[in-house]
Amino acid sequence: MALLRSIALVRASLGLQASAGTWCVVWGLLFLGGLDASAQTAPSREYQIKAVFLFNFAQFVEWPATAFAGPSSPIVIGVLGESPFGAYLDETVLGEKVNNRPVEVQRYSRVEDIKTCHILFISRSEAGQLEQILVSLKDRSLLVVGDGDDFARRGGMIRLATIQNKVRLIINVDAAQVANLTISSKLLRSAEILTASNK
Amino acid sequence: MAVGFEEKALPRWSATAALAAFVLILFAGHASGQTPQTVQPPADLKKLSLDALQEIEVTSVSKRSEKLSGAPSSIQVVTADDIRRAGATSLPEALRLASNLQVAQVDSHGWAISARGFNNTSANKLLVLVDGRAVYTPLHAGVFWDAQDTLLEDIERIEIISGPGATLWGANAVNGVINIITKNAKDSQGGLVTAAGGSELRDTGGVRYGGNLGAGGQFRVYGKYFGRDSSALPVGRQATDDLHMGQGGFRFDWDAAQINQFTVQGDVYNGRIAQLGTNDIALSGGNVLGRWSRTLSTDSDLSLQMYYDFTHRNIPGTFVEDLGTYDVDFQHRFRLGTRHDVVWGLGYRAANDDEGNTGALSFLPAQLSQRWLSGFVQDELPLGTDRLRLTLGTKIERNDYTGVEVQPSGRLAWTVTSRQTLWGAISRAVRTPSRIDRDIFVPLAPGSTSFLLAGGPNFVSEDVRAYEIGYRSEPHDRLSVSVATFYNDYGNIRSLEQLAPPAPFPLVLANGQTGNSRGAELTAEYQVTDWWRLRSGYTAQRLHIRPKRDSTDRTFGSTESHDPNYYGGLRQSLDLPGRLQFDLGIRYVGSIANQTLPAYRELDGRLAWHATPALEWSVVGQNLLHAHHAEFGAPATRKEAERGVYGKLLWRF
Repeated sequence: MALLRSIALVRASLGLQASAGTWCVVWGLLFLGGLDASAQTAPSREYQIKAVFLFNFAQFVEWPATAFAGPSSPIVIGVLGESPFGAYLDETVLGEKVNNRPVEVQRYSRVEDIKTCHILFISRSEAGQLEQILVSLKDRSLLVVGDGDDFARRGGMIRLATIQNKVRLIINVDAAQVANLTISSKLLRSAEILTASNK
Repeated sequence: MAVGFEEKALPRWSATAALAAFVLILFAGHASGQTPQTVQPPADLKKLSLDALQEIEVTSVSKRSEKLSGAPSSIQVVTADDIRRAGATSLPEALRLASNLQVAQVDSHGWAISARGFNNTSANKLLVLVDGRAVYTPLHAGVFWDAQDTLLEDIERIEIISGPGATLWGANAVNGVINIITKNAKDSQGGLVTAAGGSELRDTGGVRYGGNLGAGGQFRVYGKYFGRDSSALPVGRQATDDLHMGQGGFRFDWDAAQINQFTVQGDVYNGRIAQLGTNDIALSGGNVLGRWSRTLSTDSDLSLQMYYDFTHRNIPGTFVEDLGTYDVDFQHRFRLGTRHDVVWGLGYRAANDDEGNTGALSFLPAQLSQRWLSGFVQDELPLGTDRLRLTLGTKIERNDYTGVEVQPSGRLAWTVTSRQTLWGAISRAVRTPSRIDRDIFVPLAPGSTSFLLAGGPNFVSEDVRAYEIGYRSEPHDRLSVSVATFYNDYGNIRSLEQLAPPAPFPLVLANGQTGNSRGAELTAEYQVTDWWRLRSGYTAQRLHIRPKRDSTDRTFGSTESHDPNYYGGLRQSLDLPGRLQFDLGIRYVGSIANQTLPAYRELDGRLAWHATPALEWSVVGQNLLHAHHAEFGAPATRKEAERGVYGKLLWRF
């Protein structure tokens, strides 16, 4: 206990002179060093993983033939709203072919912009009008994916849920059936399934 | 010296070297390429199965520190890998890796550890938690570091926050918080055996086994023995304070359907420390902790934690202490509307202590039960844009000595670009009275009712108003730098009031001093190549403590603060061919004026060979530059740390 040891050492403190403001220069140096750095945004690891999931879905979902213009028409992955993926999703699908179809990425700011699309990721930025979006997409063979709270319960097909620091799949099988999509059992096996009975 | 430090504040070459390293690192960084390091190429992830993808941790340790990069406070993280590669043999040695902490070895077993000044062997402005269990003693609000240990291989990371953390963490988090986090049982599966020995580290070894209980349940058990040779007296003779500690423990984690998580863990320890001319110091204790956490949704979770901790310390001829602590904590995080991230919690703690008073020193009353009740709430919200986030919160805590204490804080983080964060904070924190402040009694002579020193019946909380501004930048993927600056305004600092001045005794403890401190903490980390990493840190600080007008204190803070004006270090980690790893760390600490303790530089090094993935041999040198050197203490009682070399074998099965 230094306090006790120090009883006999009563003395004035020494050498604690001020040196105000001397940090500014170093500070400024570091600040400028940062400012001219590239502002290129890389997505977080969470969205790197989610981007790869979106690509994987192309391999584990079967669309009706009418969803494509021709036998080698591309599979389109769309992102509605603010994209959290940066350029990572584009890099993921670059040069890839699934069942002889190339894979493309498109971005939409409004639901009306969606023309040909097979997998649609609805960004959290659209959470407020999710119900209206789902209604307007009702009659299309479109795999609707999202990661907002209760996305699957609210009528989305696959929720990429971040639970306990890991990305988990929650699939609303009923919604996929209505859209005439066949989800492979391999995908279903590794997911948590929501049906009418356990909603 | 183009960067404009005042010459007199500079410790000759060491500070120059630090700054040169910073500048070098900064500009070397600009010249090198833009190889992405935190971004995994899509090709790697695409190879994984659906199940494997779902097993990846979203925030790996590196990611977590990335997340910390947006946090509006001065945080450093020491990882398991850092601890191993530094060859640290104890928690304080691991804490040396955080450049925002002052860490000084006092003798074979005692350490003085603080942030932003007020260092002492019983430094009382730091809150230290091991897996959520507070380990400071209500006796003097400091930490008995010799009683805090675990199997270092099972530590996941240590988070070190300098600056007040009282709003979330509570009283004592005046100048900083240390959060020691051990691995989940699932991350410490299988067997591990370590054996080490050398000139200072003696007969040290550990065994751990982790297994699977099925149904999502995993466990580990461990045992370790730790021995340290005596420190040296300034003249070079042995100080006869060798340390011998044994410790064992367990942790059980059950992850039920990824929604509910249960943890039960505990430790017991027993040890002795030699004393010259009298019987050994004996210490022993244990703890058991249970925690339940439940994920309600991605934005919401809650946790309930309970623990019991008991500790015994017998310093023959000085005092005996038995302390038992019960603690319950509840915490709930949720999203309010679309913008507010809210955390709130409640806590209750009860401590019963029994001091075996001796003629030399008493605590009056000898037995005391204390209760603490606390609640906190904190809200984080974006201000117009997601790039500007405000965190507002307060802790309200009730203690038996001073009643209700309010500890609010406001923090603002501005994400300038995805690679730069500017932050600022204003907080109030308190150090509530401890037993020593109110209850100590040092008689003039054994049995006498006249005293040399007594606790103050009106002793109130020490408090601080802290102002911080910081900046963090990752100019490119291999380089990160940070600066945190602070100004702290302290009120009611502990003083030794002379009852009959000018007579130096008797003395009574009171809150007769005020003061302020200011400083800056700089860090830079540069991954030069995939196999070479450099890290450096530098902290400069000035403290001013003075008596209030009506005070008769003549210590001018010299019993409260033993602080160098600067300290820093530079580490390099090199992976060599042939499965070799080579690490070097140099540290330098300025002189401590009120202990007339000179500045020092020291060097640690480690060479490790991974003979097979399961087997690692290493040789570690500590304090290589001097046969012995002083880090802390007044000249009359000073003990010194000696140069040490040890070898270590680590085997996993």
